[in-house]
Amino acid sequence: MLRRGQDRFRRLLPGGHGTGIVIAIVAVAVLWLASGFYRVQPDEVGVVLRFGAYNRKTEPGLNYHLPAPIESALTPSVTRVNRTEIGYRSGEAPSTRTGSLQQPQEALMLTGDENIVDINFSVFWVIKDAQRYLFNIRAPEATVKSAAESAMREIVGETQIAQALAEGRGKIETETSHLLQSILDSYGAGIEVTQVQLAKVDPPAPVIDAFRDVQRALADRERLRNEAEAYRNDILPKARGAGTQTRQDADAYRSEIVARSQGDADRFSAVYKAYKASEDVTALRLYIETVEEILKSGNKIIIDKSVGGQNGVLPYLPLPSLPGVTPPAAAQSPAGTGSK
Amino acid sequence: MNSRRLLIVLAIILVAAGVLMESSLFIVDQTESALVLQFGQPRREVRTPGLWVKRPFVENVVLYDNRVLDFEPPHEEIIVSDQKRLVVDSYTRYRIINPLLFYQTVGSEAGVRARLAALVSGSLRRVLGNVTLSDILSVKRAAIMRQIRDEVAAEAKGFGIELVDVRLRRADLPEENSQAVYARMVSEREQQARQYRGEGAEAAQTVRANAERERTVILAEAQRDGQRVRGDGDAQAVKIYADAFGQDKEFFAFYRSLQAYRTSLNGHDTSFVLSPDSFFFRYFNALPGKSGAAAAPATPAR
Repeated sequence: MLRRGQDRFRRLLPGGHGTGIVIAIVAVAVLWLASGFYRVQPDEVGVVLRFGAYNRKTEPGLNYHLPAPIESALTPSVTRVNRTEIGYRSGEAPSTRTGSLQQPQEALMLTGDENIVDINFSVFWVIKDAQRYLFNIRAPEATVKSAAESAMREIVGETQIAQALAEGRGKIETETSHLLQSILDSYGAGIEVTQVQLAKVDPPAPVIDAFRDVQRALADRERLRNEAEAYRNDILPKARGAGTQTRQDADAYRSEIVARSQGDADRFSAVYKAYKASEDVTALRLYIETVEEILKSGNKIIIDKSVGGQNGVLPYLPLPSLPGVTPPAAAQSPAGTGSK
Repeated sequence: MNSRRLLIVLAIILVAAGVLMESSLFIVDQTESALVLQFGQPRREVRTPGLWVKRPFVENVVLYDNRVLDFEPPHEEIIVSDQKRLVVDSYTRYRIINPLLFYQTVGSEAGVRARLAALVSGSLRRVLGNVTLSDILSVKRAAIMRQIRDEVAAEAKGFGIELVDVRLRRADLPEENSQAVYARMVSEREQQARQYRGEGAEAAQTVRANAERERTVILAEAQRDGQRVRGDGDAQAVKIYADAFGQDKEFFAFYRSLQAYRTSLNGHDTSFVLSPDSFFFRYFNALPGKSGAAAAPATPAR
């Protein structure tokens, strides 16, 4: 059996069987030595271990370490920004409406005033110290996640819900970031937290309508106030306008009545002056002219007293048939004086 | 034939050397420390990484991770001192610092996990049982966590481990209590919303009422000023008339009456029933000089 194998071996290699073995050994050795080449990408750092112990760091590019059992190389990515998502998973569920799968267990937390708030956030971190990151901590990513959850809940637990939902976001982000950094430093994790970013801070789904209604109520308050202001802005100028109108009307009335009275007075004075010059004739003329003008129009009935007295002509006056609303007294009195 | 035997011997030697090396050399990784045992009996610790030698066959090596190790027990329900139930989720980070002691007391990571779970759970119940929920939701939380960590650390020292940290990851109300909190939150918001709307109505009413008051005042003041001006005008007119007409009362009466007749008896809607005996018709039956025409101006028709 052994001989048969040797025969086959000999057939494979040209020349004598001694040189064939040597060539085979050399080829294996070359391949073994060549397995020590490795590439370090620009965003990575190479860490070479010799028999498991840290030996040296290497720069990006093509590098060499002694082959397999002696040395090995690790190439952690030190410039890449890692992202740990808490409260949601953006990548896993593209089918959901928001494109992220909610993790209510992670997202719902108690605030300082014993309310519940729904928070999604991301932690961005880089490997600050590759040696510590590799050799000092097991499961660094899980540690970042657990510590971040713990830190966030500690900070949110000290915050009132109203603050957390509004202006307190920036404060929560920075405080969580600092706390998380100090926790990770205490583990010697070699991780630097570059940012804690709140993606969503909402009231939990069962109460979100009530919170929105508060916002609507705030808007309603403003609207009611504005409507009232609008009403005020509408009626006050109108009232001022009306007031001005009233004053102007009164001014106009005064001017009018004064002017008219002056005119009347002046006319009277003028007429009086002329009248004084020849009292009788002027009075007579004025009288006749006036009566003439009055009697020019209108119905006139002249009743002789002889007619009225003897034949019993009854001065019957059909009041309703009189045109217009002429006062009966004005019409009757001449007749009255006329008929004895 | 001779060379073939030589080859076989060489191969046997190589295999034997390989087996010997395999059983007498061991590698301790940067992340590990090793405990060398002889038939289960600890002989020595190796804490420096690298290539190490041991006695073949009689000694064997146990490797322990010397990194910070993670332990995340399942969450549990704890009743805090104000009788509120909490679902508490914690995590523990520890490091094996004394492999020998570790080997002797707990043996393996699985062993230490079981012990830690009991320790952490007990400490959580003890410490959280003495604080209220509002303590946990306050700046005291850090101190509470420190206390738990210190308690667990003191007891865990006996296992050859250094307790790096115990932290509360979550301390939340169970689902059924959450519903109560939601109901409270909703009622609080409703209250707030009503208050805002009420305030809006209040402000609106105030503004409207003020505006209407101002309008009334503006109009009334204008009315007042207007009446004053009118009165002033009337007074002036009265004075002007009085001054003018006071010159001759009799003539004024005559003149003004004529004017009044002219304006009031004007138009086609007036009917006159007249007697031919009136002053106006005195020339109907007579020529000048025969009847008393001279007395006429003093007694007009009415």
